[in-house]
Amino acid sequence: MLEIRSLSKSFGGVKATDNVSLDFADGSLTAVIGPNGAGKSTFFNLITGALRPDAGQILLNGVDMAGKTPPEIVRHGIGRAFQVASIFPSLTVEETMLAAVCADQRRAGVMHRRFPLAETRDRAEHAMELLGLANKRNRTAATLSHGDQKLLDIALALVLEPEVLLLDEPTAGMGTEERWRMIDKVRELWEKQKITVVFIEHDMDIVFKIAPKIVVLCYGRILATGTPDAIRSNDAVIEAYLGSEDRAGAVA
Amino acid sequence: MDLDALASCFASPACLVTQTTSGLIIGMLLFLVAVGLTLIFGVLKVVNFSHGAFYMFGAYFAMTAYQLTGSFALAMLCGAVGTAILGLIFERAFMSRVYGADVLMQLLVCYAFVLIFDDVVRMIWGPEFKSMGMPAAFQVPPLFIAGGVVPPYYLLLIGVALAAAVVLGLGLARTKIGKVIRAAAHNPGMVSALGINTGLIYGGVFALGGLLAGLAGALAAPVRSLTPGMGFSVLIESFIVTVIGGMGSILGALIGALLIGLIRSFGSLGFPLYTEGLMYLFMVIVLVARPTGLFGKEAA
Amino acid sequence: MTELQAGEGAQVLKVPRIDARAQRYRDVLIALVAFIVLALLPMVFGSKQLLDFVVRCAAYGLFATSLNLLVGYTGMISFGHGMFFGLGAYGFGLMMQKTGVPIPVAFAATLAITFLVAAVIGAICVRLKEIYFAFVTLAFQMLIHSTILSWQSLTGGDQGLRGGIPRPPFLGIDLSRPMHLYIASCALLVIGLLLMRQIAQSPFGYTLRMIRDNPTRASFIGIDVWRAKLVIFVLAALFASTGGMIMALFVSGAYPEFAYWTISGEGIFINMLGGVTTFLGPMVGTALLLLLNDTVTRLTEYHGIVLGIVILFFAIGLRKGLMDFIVEWFVQRREGANG
Repeated sequence: MLEIRSLSKSFGGVKATDNVSLDFADGSLTAVIGPNGAGKSTFFNLITGALRPDAGQILLNGVDMAGKTPPEIVRHGIGRAFQVASIFPSLTVEETMLAAVCADQRRAGVMHRRFPLAETRDRAEHAMELLGLANKRNRTAATLSHGDQKLLDIALALVLEPEVLLLDEPTAGMGTEERWRMIDKVRELWEKQKITVVFIEHDMDIVFKIAPKIVVLCYGRILATGTPDAIRSNDAVIEAYLGSEDRAGAVA
Repeated sequence: MDLDALASCFASPACLVTQTTSGLIIGMLLFLVAVGLTLIFGVLKVVNFSHGAFYMFGAYFAMTAYQLTGSFALAMLCGAVGTAILGLIFERAFMSRVYGADVLMQLLVCYAFVLIFDDVVRMIWGPEFKSMGMPAAFQVPPLFIAGGVVPPYYLLLIGVALAAAVVLGLGLARTKIGKVIRAAAHNPGMVSALGINTGLIYGGVFALGGLLAGLAGALAAPVRSLTPGMGFSVLIESFIVTVIGGMGSILGALIGALLIGLIRSFGSLGFPLYTEGLMYLFMVIVLVARPTGLFGKEAA
Repeated sequence: MTELQAGEGAQVLKVPRIDARAQRYRDVLIALVAFIVLALLPMVFGSKQLLDFVVRCAAYGLFATSLNLLVGYTGMISFGHGMFFGLGAYGFGLMMQKTGVPIPVAFAATLAITFLVAAVIGAICVRLKEIYFAFVTLAFQMLIHSTILSWQSLTGGDQGLRGGIPRPPFLGIDLSRPMHLYIASCALLVIGLLLMRQIAQSPFGYTLRMIRDNPTRASFIGIDVWRAKLVIFVLAALFASTGGMIMALFVSGAYPEFAYWTISGEGIFINMLGGVTTFLGPMVGTALLLLLNDTVTRLTEYHGIVLGIVILFFAIGLRKGLMDFIVEWFVQRREGANG
């Protein structure tokens, strides 16, 4: 259970996250939407420790993550993928997975044995298969297609077996068809792994179709939370976020 | 360590004046070198490891010009302008080829030129210590301020360097080219998008850096001995200055340079054997407290 | 295995796997063969010049390869790594001159001192971003150099440690005899390289590669980037210090130049020359630079100009090291043949 309590962060007077409180139930799938500059990425950066909150709590199973460093938070079970695929360009897919498992097993500092360690194989293998990267295992990350790099980024988060997985725009920079494939993958992972998934998405069609729960952020505040139907008919959301030109498409 | 000497100096106005002036001239010379270093870094994100060589060339150019013409003003001009041209050629012909490459390549190109420039100076002017000598106009009795000895040349040096700092500061703040340079420092992509020739800006910044370092070398020539390799210790010190002041900050360079100058001058009384060590120590303290320097921008 | 064999079209029937244990045996075997060849070398070529060359290669090679652990594997460009070379030479020389302890004790004690100094300097430096890191390490190098120059009563100032370093025999090894020194240097070189190879190929080695590629991502998979950088900074310092000790034994003294910044500059250049993408690149670079230095010094007094031009050729012309160049050439040829 991930509970956010009165989380706030401001940059030079601008409140990027303003008193946000939210609960993410175990095994839930939640989409975070909001116009550009709504503070979605800041929200993720606060939860994962990339930014330090000014105030508030981030409780993972009752333990406060606020003020902890990214490595500590990852070890508590909050993994993330990035808007721009954040990978290790010179490592192969398989090396990336094996090294990540090493880190998760607290063996990143082992010097007396050779890489890869036998006990990291199964998990690495499993993650590659889940994401469909197994047949590209010997490609260096830099040579992968954009979509595969995004998958590798997610695999990097998933291979750590997190309780909560935060995906910052998993479909960023993709064509329509590729978007749907990616989002099906995300849904499939969520169903298979039974973990809590929170993702940021711009495409309203995708959000309304696959997310059981939606959070709308605007100027750092929560504008609304609820099921797709509730959000669709929420006046504040329609007014502030969907705007006139999107209304027809989104509400239809 | 000789803390008594330091304490008695603080008690005597004469000693305070003498040490402060000598600290100021060290500081102002360092500022002229460091401000070029920090400008080049600000605009090009390149640490010009061979910047010390510009200082060295400024001194040698000034010495030769003085020996040939006997004119002090001409010597200063030659030192500054000659080095500016050198800086422009260096940037256009070599540094511009490694902007895209990683830091290692940039450092290596500069390292190569540190070696080459030192040898070139050795070839042209010889390996031995040279001296330009104090120009006749300044061979006058020193001034006494509150009992402290101040050679008039020191005042000139401080004045010229200060004037350069003011002109530079105003130029960057008020003129169009200054605004473009600051914009380039802030966002290189934007400047080329505006249709401004970035190559021209980059070359210009190197020339400006060369001009200032050359001027520093020329100003130092009458009071320092000239030797191949004289640029390197200046480079290290000006780097310390920029680190203390904050990379890319001109005000930081000024404050950092003056602090280092005063530390050197008063440190030489209290810790005669360890003046340099004091400087490094100060840098370490600043860095531990503020990794981006006193006036550096917080990196995201 | 190549890209093509494992490329997209390949079926996942038989997964080619990296066999970790076999690689380690292979490395040990190569090291043994290399040592035997080096040890037998004097029987074939008795020239003192050659033996001296190998000893210098051992000293600078350990130094340069350890620098590659920082530059090539972790992406930390240290411009002050030479301080540990100097520290090793002076620490060992002083220990032998002042205390008269047996050589192995002085060796271990010097490593201990290096460990402490590197831990303190590393703790300050490794947090800094690349260019700051480069120059603050350089500043520390200058600090140590100026300390050596000014602490005349201990270090002999600009004259260096004179009067020779006593080299009493231990365990039947007499390092004052050139042949013994030669074999010992070769042994230290081979053992040092083997240890560094192990570090590079261990899980920790891959942690370093991740930090080089993308430190932010590394911290988001739970790696303590700062700690890993500090560990490798200290380890690299220990190998550099060992190189310095070999040098002190070889010249029977220590000079301020061993701690001067140019040693660091040469180390970076050696890495560039040999290439940072292969483990043995720095060794190749060391041999090349020493050969170049010896030749150029014989031909002209302006060896800075020649060296500078060679550096420019690599940095602007090739844009990579010799070994990088050769490896890429081979890969391209093989791919050309396969495809």
